[in-house]
Amino acid sequence: MSAVLTLDRVSRVHGEGASAVEALKSVTFTAAAGELVAVMGPSGSGKSTLLTLAGGLDSPTSGTVTVEGADLGSLGLKDRARMRRTAIGYVFQDFNLIPALTAAENVALPLELDGQRPRAARAAARLALDEVGIGHLADRFPDDMSGGQAQRVAIARAVVGERRLILADEPTGALDTETGEDILQLLRARCDAGAAGVLVTHEARHAAWADRVVFLRDGVVVDESGSAPVDALLDAGQGR
Amino acid sequence: MRGWRLPLRLAWRDALRSRARSALVLVMIALPVLGVTAATVLIATSNVSTVEGLDRELGDADALVAVREGVDEVAQAPNPDDGLDYDEDSGTALTPAQLAAALGDRPLTEVRQGWGMLRTDRGATDAQLTEVDLSDPLAARLVDLTDGRLPRAAGEVVVNQALADKGYDVGDPLRLRGQDSPESVVVGIAESSRVRSEPAVAGLVGSLGFETFDTSRTWLVGGGPMDWDEVLALNERGVSAYSRTVLEDPPPASEVPSEVEVYESSTDETALAIAALVVTMALLEVVLLAGPSFAVGARRQARTLALVAASGGTPAQARRVVLASAIVLGAVASVGGVLLGIALAAALLPLVQSFTSSWLGPFQVAWLPLIGVAGFGLVSAFLAAVVPAHLASRQDIVAVLGGRRGDRKPSLRSPLLGVVLLGVGIVGAVLGARPGGELLIAAAAIPAVLGMVLLVPVVLAVLGRLAGRLPLSLRFAVRDAARHRTRTVPAVAAVAATVTGVVALGISTSSDAAEARATYAPMLPAGAAIVSTLGGQDAEQVRTAIGREVPGAEPTDIRGVRDATEEQYLEVTVTAGSDDWLLSSSSSVLGSSLLVGDELPPLLLGVDEDERTSAARVLAAGGAVAFTDRGVRGDEVGVRVARSDGMTGEPIGRPVSATLPAVVIDVDPASTGPVAVLAPAAARQMDLEVTTVAVAITGARVTEEQEQAVTEVLAATASGQEMYVERGYRADGETLIIQLVLAGLGALLMLGGTLTATFLALSDARPDLATLSAVGASPRTRRGVAASYALVVGFVGAVLGAAVGFVPGMAVSRPLTTMGGETCVITGSGSCTPSGVQVGPFLDVPWLLILGIVVVLPLLTAAVVGLTARSRLPLVARLS
Amino acid sequence: MSVRQALLALLEQGPMYGYQLRSEFEQRTGGTWPLNVGQVYTTLTRLERDGLVAGAGADDEGHVVYRLTEDGHGEVATWFTTPVARTQPPRDELAIKLALAVTVPGVDVGRVIQQQRTATMKALQDYTRLKRSERGAERVDLAWGLVLDSLVFAAEAEIRWLDHCESRLRRAAREQSAAPASAPVQEEAR
Repeated sequence: MSAVLTLDRVSRVHGEGASAVEALKSVTFTAAAGELVAVMGPSGSGKSTLLTLAGGLDSPTSGTVTVEGADLGSLGLKDRARMRRTAIGYVFQDFNLIPALTAAENVALPLELDGQRPRAARAAARLALDEVGIGHLADRFPDDMSGGQAQRVAIARAVVGERRLILADEPTGALDTETGEDILQLLRARCDAGAAGVLVTHEARHAAWADRVVFLRDGVVVDESGSAPVDALLDAGQGR
Repeated sequence: MRGWRLPLRLAWRDALRSRARSALVLVMIALPVLGVTAATVLIATSNVSTVEGLDRELGDADALVAVREGVDEVAQAPNPDDGLDYDEDSGTALTPAQLAAALGDRPLTEVRQGWGMLRTDRGATDAQLTEVDLSDPLAARLVDLTDGRLPRAAGEVVVNQALADKGYDVGDPLRLRGQDSPESVVVGIAESSRVRSEPAVAGLVGSLGFETFDTSRTWLVGGGPMDWDEVLALNERGVSAYSRTVLEDPPPASEVPSEVEVYESSTDETALAIAALVVTMALLEVVLLAGPSFAVGARRQARTLALVAASGGTPAQARRVVLASAIVLGAVASVGGVLLGIALAAALLPLVQSFTSSWLGPFQVAWLPLIGVAGFGLVSAFLAAVVPAHLASRQDIVAVLGGRRGDRKPSLRSPLLGVVLLGVGIVGAVLGARPGGELLIAAAAIPAVLGMVLLVPVVLAVLGRLAGRLPLSLRFAVRDAARHRTRTVPAVAAVAATVTGVVALGISTSSDAAEARATYAPMLPAGAAIVSTLGGQDAEQVRTAIGREVPGAEPTDIRGVRDATEEQYLEVTVTAGSDDWLLSSSSSVLGSSLLVGDELPPLLLGVDEDERTSAARVLAAGGAVAFTDRGVRGDEVGVRVARSDGMTGEPIGRPVSATLPAVVIDVDPASTGPVAVLAPAAARQMDLEVTTVAVAITGARVTEEQEQAVTEVLAATASGQEMYVERGYRADGETLIIQLVLAGLGALLMLGGTLTATFLALSDARPDLATLSAVGASPRTRRGVAASYALVVGFVGAVLGAAVGFVPGMAVSRPLTTMGGETCVITGSGSCTPSGVQVGPFLDVPWLLILGIVVVLPLLTAAVVGLTARSRLPLVARLS
Repeated sequence: MSVRQALLALLEQGPMYGYQLRSEFEQRTGGTWPLNVGQVYTTLTRLERDGLVAGAGADDEGHVVYRLTEDGHGEVATWFTTPVARTQPPRDELAIKLALAVTVPGVDVGRVIQQQRTATMKALQDYTRLKRSERGAERVDLAWGLVLDSLVFAAEAEIRWLDHCESRLRRAAREQSAAPASAPVQEEAR
């Protein structure tokens, strides 16, 4: 298995001076092709920070983030944007669809931004929508969709164009359990088909869909299902 | 008021929190208020009322009294300039001594005022002349000495700076143009209280030697207030008085003699209607420009409003929350606009002064109109918030609380109403497309524009549906514009209303210009010039001046019979067979209507070489050349020349006439040539005195500077002739300026509307932009989106506006360019027979202007917006 | 969990013999609660004694078939309409273990929790995997799905409870270390 995403001793400090908050403390993390990794932790544990770093939306204070062999830190804004539309797919909790665009156009967005011809992009988008089971909604606007449908569109957008890293930030947060499981099923299927997936969630039931579950506490990986437990738990707690 | 306290407090906090948006509204409303305020103050200041002008007329005196020769009783209005009634030759006027006696022990000093010609280094100039003893305390403040000293004796004068600029200086002799002007010398430079940029001279009585034009004499009178009773008493003795006290505190109308009753000029209804139209349009424009900000504000407050509604607030209370922000911002903008406007006016005063020929009045702030102006600002803010407030009050509470958009589906009613209003506007314009219908057309433009505003949402919705094929940024902008109708519609409508106005006015002014161009009749061949010499008095001077000022020109004398002198005028009748008139009208620019020569003079219009040749042949044979625009034919004409007294019209001497072999040449009806050209022999035979009547200038293009130079030189000649240069039709600067101002103002308003909408759209679209960034949009995508917004708003507005603007524009071009009735030809008997030539209507669409404003301007705005927009996309706005 | 009631409920579908009842039960519960045939037959005998089921002869292969009596139908109806009583919490080894761990000195409670959580997470992953394969199967067995869900939610509840224990422990530790300070340390609001 080849690692699609690698975080090597990554730290991220928000703010400066007295108000500085260390969101991630030297975290090392990988996600390999065909693997779905869940990141669990309470709010403020740094799991969302981990995801924004992996997606190139934010830069680490120290350490390196590598996606498909490319060090995001060494890339400029433009190249990072290119990575986001060609290599990384993002799924957000509140879907983040653009309300002014139809489902198909939302899905086609990364392809169009990458300079593909609208017709080809639209066709690929329709395929992706078919794959997530809502091909018939291609011409609807997000405002006219249910949450589950909107999240399916978001997933279609995250996977369209053969992207191999899917980052999902509480993708089921706004959905009921049934619909949420459908969404996880989709993510899972995508990873089984060869993509690397990172799923940030605070619900164990959802994390259980992953091959590996990583527990984050205060910016530190404290536990990993299947691997040896880390001793630092109480030290980390007392050290604060 | 109780129900408003909470909304007002909310509005105030909201205004402070969203500073950029508040600033936008403030600017939109404050700018027009500021402009109108400054204009109002400047106009009030530069308008010198009678009372304000008293010091300028009277100096330190209390009254200015006048007696007229042969008048022993007058009736006057409080201000004799408003009404003065007397019978000429009714009796004997008071002598100065009698007047002094009549005024009791009041001091008085004679003052004479008028205009005269002064020679300057280059030629001559008009100047205001004042004769008064400037050392008299009564006249003290009529001039303000800046250099030298005041005149102490006859023969000493002061001149003002304007005259000094023309070459006069202390010590120079004053060169008055007139037969027996006294010799005077300039002893000082002093500003006149009455004129500023025009030349003025003042000296002791007799120094300037001008005759008062209406045989009246005037005195400045001091010695304390002169009340109305005293004025009436003076009137009985034939003295009119311009009294400071009376003008400052006019008597009741009942005490004013009935024959000079001053009627209030009735308010001009047309002017009132036009003012109402202008105010309405301005209000509409401001409302539309400020509207988007309130729409966005209302949407930002949607959740608050939904919570208010959920906890039992009525729709009226929800409306108040939105309206309150209009009141807060409107009030601040209005008051601020008025105050800044006053400050601006004060700052602009020196500049305005430098452009006006008279002295400005005291700085004057007319509060009443300014309160109206401020009210306008407040009302426009309020109106701008009405629609957002209404929509906010009927939003879907459940949807908003659930985090969705709570806009109700737009009703079909408003577009239908829009169609109806547009129809009314078009019908009005069509009905107004007849002479005198301008006002109706202008009034009809308002429903048309309102109708268009109501139709904008439909257009946007249709565009949104058609946007599927557009590139991403544009598609995003169009769809987003269609989705946020409350924000986009007023902005688009503001642009559209602006463009409507620009297109309508553009079409009407350029049609006007087209009419002027089409009906322009040149008087001379293009590029030629002529100076008439009034009977050859100044022929030599004219030739010299031309030779000196216009190098390379060939002056040619045009000889003829002198048309008119001060004493008599010439009547030339040319007959051919039974036709006793050949030209429907005659007005010769060639110095005389009856020319004399061996060949046709130069500069004749509408005469070809063949005609010249045959004319030369007839003239050589001692015949005559006659001109006709009525198709009269004949090879023999009768020429009759009669003279009449210039004052009484009595014939002088016997008319002379002759029948001569002739050639009749067809000319244009609007021709400005002579009636006939006689052979010198024929003129001699008829015993006509032939002189050089004009000098034609050919062979060189006379520039405007040369023309001015020649004119100034000629002003100094006895007849003071001017030169006429034929430059063909020239759009008077006005049309061009109007079009430029239109384009400029249009561009400014369009830019305002477009930028507002774009700014608001971008701040609204932050989350969407963050999403774009997250899925990999490169930084410049934001620029693309910004430019697309600007393009959508500008372009849609411009196209709609241009389409609507064509209606009143084309309609109004008809009454503007159709001649009243038909042109007609005056027959010999003096009656009017229709010529059958219908002049106008003219329609000229200024395509360049329209292209500029519909295509270039939106593109330009989009480019500017695209280049100046921040390119960094918000990255994690939605993730935290 | 009563085998008695489960067998009665299954017989509601129609007469069945002992082995058949066992496989029906396991199909529905996915083998979560294994049942041996002996237990089935003893229960059936008791039910017959109580007059809730009656022998209905033998089928072609000689299996003795049982059916519900009138009383049996009534018993099933009563069971379904009576909520499961929670008055007596089942004895929970984990809860007891943790309760003891915090009181007995020298035990690393955090480690206990972590290990337990990892183990429960593993179980949860297993259940989810089962669910995935179940979802993939052509005919979705609703009954089995529901039982799986019950296990998933129970495991999730356990993990959440462990999380809760952990944060309470940490808070206790923090308060202990901050006790000398005058001001109480506030829970961080991140």
